[in-house]
Parts: sequence; C-alpha cells; structure tokens
Amino acid sequence: MAKDFRQFLEQLERDSPLEVIRIKKPVDPAAFELTALLVHLERQGKFPVLLLEQPLNLKSERAPFHFASNLYALRQRCALALGLRPADWALPLSLEYARRETQVVAPVVIGRAEAPVQEVVRTGDAVDLRDLPIVRHHRMDPAPYIDMTPVMRDPEGGFYNVAFLRTMYQGPRRLGLHMSPRHNWQIQRKYEAGKRPTPVAIIVSHHPAFYLGALNVSAFGVDDYAKIGAIMGEPLRLTASQSFGDDLLVPADAELIIEGQIPPGVKEVEGPFGEFTGYYGPQRLRPVIEVTAITHRREAILQHVFVGHRDNWIIGGIPKEGSLFNVIKGVVPTVRAVHFALSGCCRFNCYVSIDKKVDGETKQAALAALGACDFVKNVIVVDADIDVFNERDVMWAVATRVQADRDVDIIKGVKGNTLDPSQTDDIMTAKMIVDATKPVRRAFPSRVEVPKEALETVRLQDYIPLEILERLSPAPEVSGRA
Amino acid sequence: MARIFWVTCPQCRDRFYCHRDELRGKGIPLLCPYCGHRFLDSESPQIEE
Repeated sequence: MAKDFRQFLEQLERDSPLEVIRIKKPVDPAAFELTALLVHLERQGKFPVLLLEQPLNLKSERAPFHFASNLYALRQRCALALGLRPADWALPLSLEYARRETQVVAPVVIGRAEAPVQEVVRTGDAVDLRDLPIVRHHRMDPAPYIDMTPVMRDPEGGFYNVAFLRTMYQGPRRLGLHMSPRHNWQIQRKYEAGKRPTPVAIIVSHHPAFYLGALNVSAFGVDDYAKIGAIMGEPLRLTASQSFGDDLLVPADAELIIEGQIPPGVKEVEGPFGEFTGYYGPQRLRPVIEVTAITHRREAILQHVFVGHRDNWIIGGIPKEGSLFNVIKGVVPTVRAVHFALSGCCRFNCYVSIDKKVDGETKQAALAALGACDFVKNVIVVDADIDVFNERDVMWAVATRVQADRDVDIIKGVKGNTLDPSQTDDIMTAKMIVDATKPVRRAFPSRVEVPKEALETVRLQDYIPLEILERLSPAPEVSGRA
Repeated sequence: MARIFWVTCPQCRDRFYCHRDELRGKGIPLLCPYCGHRFLDSESPQIEE
C-alpha cells in the first residue's frame, strides 16, 4: 500500500495519542482562528498536531474536509515520517536524509481511475476555491494563502520541480503566486519567454515524507519526483492530471490537488505575506494561476505549514542538513554533522562540525555549504567535540576558539534570499564564515572535565534522596537542544 | 530584501509596505491588506521610504 497522509496520521494517533489533538468545534482558518490557537500553544512551548474536524471554508460553511496543522513543528515527528524512532530526531535524522538523498527512485504511473486523489473531480464552472478551508496566517496578509507545493515541469528537460511557494486567494478560480528566483521560477520563465501558459498543480496535502523530499537541495534539472521517491523510500505513484493529461503528472496518493495555468504576461499585486524570516515580504507584482481543476480524495485531510514559525523552519532545515552533509563530505570526508538552527529560521545559520585533520578544511567545508544552497548566509564550523544541535555549545566554541580578525571571513555580492530583510540589494547578500575550530598546528588548551571514572562510580541517588531529585526543576535553559 | 516603502491606506488609515521598484509611482493600484481598498500610492496620506 502506497504511503499517504491519512495512514501517517492514523499511526501517529495510535502510537502517540497526545501528539494529535482533535478540535471538534468549528474553526475558521481564514479569520486567524487557527493561527491564534497555534500561537497560544507556541507560547506555552507546546507543539501538538491540531486536527480540525470542522474547518470552515471561505464561504464560512463547514467544509467536508479535515484540516491538519503543525505537523512539522517537532523533529521527532519528522523522524517518524521517515520511518525512524522519535529518539533519532537529531543527527540520525540528518544522516538518514543524507543517505536517501544520494538515491533516486523512479516514480510509477497509474491510471486516473485508480488514483485516490481523483475520487472527486471538479473542473470548469464547478471549480470554486471558496469551498476549501484556507488559512490566513498573520495580520498583514491580505487574504488566505495556500502555502504548500506547486509542481511544474520543465518544457525542455521534461523533469519535474516541486517547491513550497505561497499562493494568495484572489478569486474563486484565481490565485496569486510568489516565486523567488529559484527552480520553479526558471521553469515559468521559459514558458513566459515562449508566450505560453505554464501548467502547474499545487499538491495541497500528502504524506509528510513527500514534503521533506520536496525540499531536497538538488541541482536544477534533477527530477524531484524521483528524489521524493528516494526520501519516501518507495516509488511515488503518479497519475495524469485532469487539465493537462500526461503532460503534467500529479501525485496519485495526495489528499487534494489544485490544477491550473500561469498565463504569460499577467501580473497582479500580491502580498504582503508573513514569511519564513518572521517578517512580512512586501506587496509585489506577481504572476497569477488560473485554476482549472480541483481533485481530491473523499473526506480529504488538508494541511498547511505555519510559515514563520517552528513548523515552517524545521521542515526546511532537515533536508538542507542531509543534502549539505553529502556535499561537504565530498570535500571534507571527516564532516560529522550539519545543523540548521531554529535561531536562523533553519535557513540562514548553518553549523557544521568536522574532525579537522589539516588547517584549511574549515573553509573548504564552509564554502561547499555556501555554494550548495543560496539560503545559507552564516556558516560556523566547529570541531567534532561540539554538538551542533546544541546552540549554546556552538556559541561556546565561538566565544573560546574565535579571534574575529583571523577567523571570520566575509564574502560580498553573493546570491542570497529575496526575503532577507537585512539585504539592501534585491538578490545579493554578504555571507560569513566563522572558523570556530581549534588550530591543528599549534598547541591549544583542553576543555575541563570531571574524570569519567568518578562519574561512573559516584551516583546522585546515593547522596540525594530520589524524591528530592525528582522535585528539582531543571534550569530553564538546560533543554537547549532544538 | 528589496527596498520597500510604507504606505497608509486612505480608507482605513492602517499601514503596510510594498516593493519600491515594482510599485512606487507606477500607477498600479495597491491592495490594502486590512480593508481590501484599492488605491494608488499617490492617494496615500502618508508614505515612508
């Protein structure tokens, strides 16, 4: 049986009932009710999946769908999505992604009649986006947005690219589409140059491993469907779209798909939109999608990503950790771990640990990371004794192993991210490399340590009663790994 | 990020921002994210850039 979202949710609820909270009261996602619930929980440091049993659609009616939110806000759940144990949330999850990311698994094509995502098909005048629950996330967002993954097919190479892109509700059959100058933008540009509409399909809900796979950092030209299959651990099942037939294949086991086309030469105002950076991206002129079909499973379970919050950051970070681990390993084989910390929105700040054998490997590793992914802005390279998943440990290395005049390099005029508010250029940014490793060619002091033998022989409970130990609260900053 | 300008909606008087190169002085109606009013930047009672 092919992997799908409902199967994943059922298993999550069965194995960890507190991970999924069913909300039985009607919730209006377009009136900020969902994101208000998420922020209340976030302020308490709690990140369960919320499953809305009665989400309202854009007509303020009870929609015949369920709606899931906050799926990716814990790395433990992302580990489950890849078939790992929750305890594998840190380095093992990155390394497993890295292992799978080196492979490709060709998709298989099945007939439309067998495709669950086409159990219900609406085309032509029957298409109405107002039938869907769509989330309005933040105050300055002008409309509800679908923030999942449009797929496009390159007109020359024939490969597919899947990417998280925001689409703004603009009318019953119209969406505004924001793209940064990356892979889907390249594809749409080719159609635009030929004055042809770009076929597009938005995969609104699928198994979480599908979305982790969609965020791989492969070069332009690699077929994302084959890469997603590798991350999912099985061939992705595809079927012909309703609007474009075999010219645009879509995932057969998705919960809901919106098909449409981007007409050439048409742009509308779009945004502002609260983005992954935690700031609003400005209102801009952007292409539109003319929606031609909506297909879905019966009682489909939709989802979104809570952009600008943990949910959005973590899902973006894990694939980059895996992909960059592979890239760095090519030039520095002793790389131990790569982590994108929450403090950098899991995009901008990249921590790399290496078992350095010769000076110079640090910059090799950092330059590889910077070259492989334009999101990466600041790379801190540490020794293997530093836990890159513990930001306090990383900053301790910076504090004690870095001399700014010697160990910090700035590279100007590199392609960055258009949504970074600190950039004064639309495209270009400055990148920073911090070498927080110990030197190889001169003597360096050692970390303090209590002898291992003492730690093994002296047991707390022999000196302090267990009931007192259990009542002691850890310092708030102790659980610093994230 | 590209240069932006803050604009005030002449209808609801709330503020939001836009991409300067694409929308400042271009004669393209802006969309107020709060009240849905469409207006030209020249109609804004206050612009900060």
